[in-house]
Amino acid sequence: MARGSTRRQLTGMLYVLPFAAVWLLFLVWPVIYGFYLSLWEWDPLRGSKFVALGNYQHLFTDPRFWNAFWNTIEFAVISIPLIVGFGLLFALLLHNRNFFGKDLVEASLFFPYLLNVSIISLIWAWLVDPDYGILLQGLKVLGWNAPPFLNHPLWVIPFIALATGWWLSGYRMVVFRAALKDIPASILESAEIDGASGWAKVWHIVLPLIKPSILFAVVLSALSSFSVLGQVLVMTEGGPGRASEVLALYLYRLGFHYFRMGEAAAVGFILFLLMLVVAIFAFRFLGFESEFERKRGSEKA
Amino acid sequence: MSRAFRNLAFAAAALLFFSAAQAQIVLKMNTLFHSGDAQAMERIVEKFNAEHSDVQIDLSQGQWADYYAQLYNAVIANDAPHIGIVHTTNLPQMQPALTPLENSPAGNLLAAAGIEGSNYISALWDAGAFEGERYLIPLDTHMFGLWYNKDVFAAAGLDPNVAPSTRAEFEAAANAIRDNTDAYAVHLAEDGLARKLARAWYYLYWGQNAELFDADFTTSTFNNDRGLAACEYLTGVVSNDWNIAAGDGFKQFTAGDLGMLVAGNWFYWTATEAGVNFGFAAMPTFFDTPKTWGNSHNLVIPKQPAGTPDEVYVAAAQAIKWINENSDIWGIYGGHIPAYNPARESADLLASDTWQVSLSTFAKMAEDGVLHYPITHPKAAELESVFNTNIELAYNGTLTCQAALTQATTEANRILKR
Repeated sequence: MARGSTRRQLTGMLYVLPFAAVWLLFLVWPVIYGFYLSLWEWDPLRGSKFVALGNYQHLFTDPRFWNAFWNTIEFAVISIPLIVGFGLLFALLLHNRNFFGKDLVEASLFFPYLLNVSIISLIWAWLVDPDYGILLQGLKVLGWNAPPFLNHPLWVIPFIALATGWWLSGYRMVVFRAALKDIPASILESAEIDGASGWAKVWHIVLPLIKPSILFAVVLSALSSFSVLGQVLVMTEGGPGRASEVLALYLYRLGFHYFRMGEAAAVGFILFLLMLVVAIFAFRFLGFESEFERKRGSEKA
Repeated sequence: MSRAFRNLAFAAAALLFFSAAQAQIVLKMNTLFHSGDAQAMERIVEKFNAEHSDVQIDLSQGQWADYYAQLYNAVIANDAPHIGIVHTTNLPQMQPALTPLENSPAGNLLAAAGIEGSNYISALWDAGAFEGERYLIPLDTHMFGLWYNKDVFAAAGLDPNVAPSTRAEFEAAANAIRDNTDAYAVHLAEDGLARKLARAWYYLYWGQNAELFDADFTTSTFNNDRGLAACEYLTGVVSNDWNIAAGDGFKQFTAGDLGMLVAGNWFYWTATEAGVNFGFAAMPTFFDTPKTWGNSHNLVIPKQPAGTPDEVYVAAAQAIKWINENSDIWGIYGGHIPAYNPARESADLLASDTWQVSLSTFAKMAEDGVLHYPITHPKAAELESVFNTNIELAYNGTLTCQAALTQATTEANRILKR
């Protein structure tokens, strides 16, 4: 019996091995090496120097780092609800059996996700081009002399977050659609018979039952929001001034423009820790299991 | 008879094999050029490859933003191209990744290839050495000048064949365009990106015979009346209603909606292809002396891995010499001023529209000392980012000019002291 169990464990480990090897080589090792690098003033041509936590110390006293840190937080706080919220809203609307042209609308909402970040960024930047942007011209016709969003320190991050929401919510919508389809119709019918309103059904039944999908969407959106780079680089290059310089962009500039690889690695490690904390918090707050699975588990116990 | 024939065939095959093996020195060349510049360099390399059977150049181009990091890291990884491009002002930052040309592992490459400094614009040649060693062979110089729309000038009641050359003439023309046409009057900084706005502030500041830092780069020296005057002149473009804060001068000019644009020599082909009826003039004198922002592209041999054969170094140096000898193509199709004197005087270049319309004026500006290099320092990229951000904030009205200069001073001094 014990021999069979060991054999099964070994077989299981062999199945996991290919993924584990790739994961260790391309994810775990770079994190460890990145941390190692962050302890150095790394420059093999001029000569590297071990500085222990000196790079972190410098970053924590650098106003530019903190500016990038808070810009990243602002972007994440705005974009995560937009991405997940739009995705959920679209999924709920499309879940309605009577929704006209459902397939076309679903395809249209998913389509932006297929586009490259550069294309998305250029399209949105053109929309609000101060000279010829159709969105600004349209808003003017409607009576609002809107500021050039990408050139305004207060508007720039919310606007990039909005563009990101438009880009990424389609994929979350598909995830939520799949989860909604798994909810047994009998539960919702029972709730209807008991007189539950539409909102009550969503809040008390649908959302608890699709919690694993929400967790997946939140964690995925958090990771992409905290590591945002492409949109910012193409749309504003971090401007105006440094109003949209996020941590990933600061990291990129430290490493690739200023050749301060050690400090860039330190920013990367801080970003990693930030995302780790957010992911752990999301797992703790939302849990792995849906309400359905949780109840089934507690009944078994 | 048959044995003699067999021996002959063997000898011929061996000869062919060795000559083929000898013929194949392939030089990897990597540049940061894109758009028209990249096409012009392609023309030069195609010509080189057509004329040389023993050495071929394998050209890759187009990475502007990350180019220097890639080049630096390629040297670290022992995978550097044999020929690269470096701006003059990037020399202090890139020097550890470059081969000293007179003191290379293969000896004096200038002597081996027959490259002589006297054949180049002396200021550009002189700027190619760092701490007593030569690293750069100048390819060109490039700078900002004044492009103007003749139709807009005519509509504003101005003489379309006379461009403003003084501050008073410039302002009179700008006001006339603003008052008499629907076009934007002026853009002083190409597409209005932060780094372009900073360049505009630089040339306005340098035009008052002022420098950004002290000679030893120990402290900044721009937070003064002259820095303020330059900033206020730049922001005056918006406050005088000559343009909008976030305007893109390239787009406006090519759409026929802009009267005057300060832009680089690379703008020639864009303006021509846009079909705008344009003229070109030297930079007006905004303050004490006419100054413009400019820089130079240089050909370099990045550091090669140990064991690289001497003939590869020499072939790379000879290829660099050949490229410069044919850099009239660079002038005609890239719109840059060749640094190599005979190329700049070539009949083809002098007869070209590029030369007639704009390049001759640019060349005159270079000869007259109007060109001023930007920051030349190992921390130049970081220091420039200080000006980029703060001048942009002043231009779009987020900061006053004084606040922008004060903030820039704090940030720049912090970088210098680190």
